[in-house]
Amino acid sequence: MELHDYSSIVEALLFAADQPVTAGKIRQCIEMDDEIPVQEIVDQLNDYYHQEDRSFFIMEVAGGYQLVTRREFEPYVKKLYVGASRMRLSRAALETLSIIAYKQPVSRPEIDSIRGVNSDSVIRTLLERDLIAVKGREEQPGRPLLYGTSDEFLRYFGLNSLDDLPKLKEIDALMDQSGESDDIDAGLIETDESAD
Amino acid sequence: MPYKVQLDIFEGPLDLLLFFISRDEIDIYDIPIARITDQYLAYLDLMQQLNVSVAGEYIRMAATLMHIKARTLLPQLSENEEDEEVEDPRSELVEMLLEYKRFKEAAENLETFESEQSQYYPRQPSLAEIDTEVNPEELLREVTLFDLMKTFRNLLQQVPETPTHNVSRIDTSVEEQRTYILEKLHTRSSLQFSELIESFAEKITVIITFIALLDMMKDRVVRVVQSGNFDDILIKKQPESVETAT
Repeated sequence: MELHDYSSIVEALLFAADQPVTAGKIRQCIEMDDEIPVQEIVDQLNDYYHQEDRSFFIMEVAGGYQLVTRREFEPYVKKLYVGASRMRLSRAALETLSIIAYKQPVSRPEIDSIRGVNSDSVIRTLLERDLIAVKGREEQPGRPLLYGTSDEFLRYFGLNSLDDLPKLKEIDALMDQSGESDDIDAGLIETDESAD
Repeated sequence: MPYKVQLDIFEGPLDLLLFFISRDEIDIYDIPIARITDQYLAYLDLMQQLNVSVAGEYIRMAATLMHIKARTLLPQLSENEEDEEVEDPRSELVEMLLEYKRFKEAAENLETFESEQSQYYPRQPSLAEIDTEVNPEELLREVTLFDLMKTFRNLLQQVPETPTHNVSRIDTSVEEQRTYILEKLHTRSSLQFSELIESFAEKITVIITFIALLDMMKDRVVRVVQSGNFDDILIKKQPESVETAT
């Protein structure tokens, strides 16, 4: 088969999927060849959609591929769902999630001590939303559960992998700047400015 | 000094302290501990005046602040200014604040990603993902209507199906059936039990009539004769009994 033939299959798979599909899964569905250049096929499809000015494209997210509508159509698509309210994450949830994302696997006592408050109910909410998962137990008195982020976390925030998270500066680095930092509010987080 | 602080917007004592620090443009590495402690306590006071229950974490932080304040007031053992080894009593707090601050900012980044990503609609989006205009106050709340509905649905699924029994009132009584039997016997000296019950549609009425009959036997109002097991029952008036129905 030509690449061109495969591309229709890939398109069909992504069209029918309800979550990001990994390259491995795509190869498995095609059942042909371990050497199928999925990324190349996706790029070709995206080029094609772009040329044809289609309203959607294939997004690389959570280590897989997913068809999504282009952002300029958001105002219209949104109207399809008038009345359905989206559960945006609370500040407490986002804080807790960022600690889990950067320090995983991490236990609740550690999260609590960083936030300075009890995070029990927040963690439960995050578990219910599948944004985090239990990754094991810490070998410590009480054997507290250890939490880490899920694939849904990556998908929800549009990240392809955890490497896409902006880097946190180390505390030591911050402490070293002591005295010479006029502007303490800025630059604590180095944002990876690489555009896609 | 008057406080114009919106209540309940802080995620905890560290968040509150960071608020003071950024509002007053305080150098986080040189926190005027006495001033911050006073402001912090005044805030807790305000919360208490407004009957907002102050979480234990806030109280603990108040104790920590006062402890640090006390330590800074104590004369240093080593007055030598060149001695860099003397630990600043504030350093542990500063470290905690910085640690919290970087995750607070990481959380803000995540929030940006969240709203960014919400502009792309995947195939088959789940309802939870749909972005609609939401009151910013609402965003801070932990529980949404959807949470409640989800919980309610889950709870409903957990409730085991309990078998139902329909209980209907029996609209006849032993007394009534006694009277009924006596009335039947009024004109005749004897009758068959089968005659007695042939018009009854419900089993329960038959049972009650039977109980009434047993009752009357016990009271020696009637006499019953049965030629064999499962044969029809012949009911006779007791010759000596005076008919005192009811």
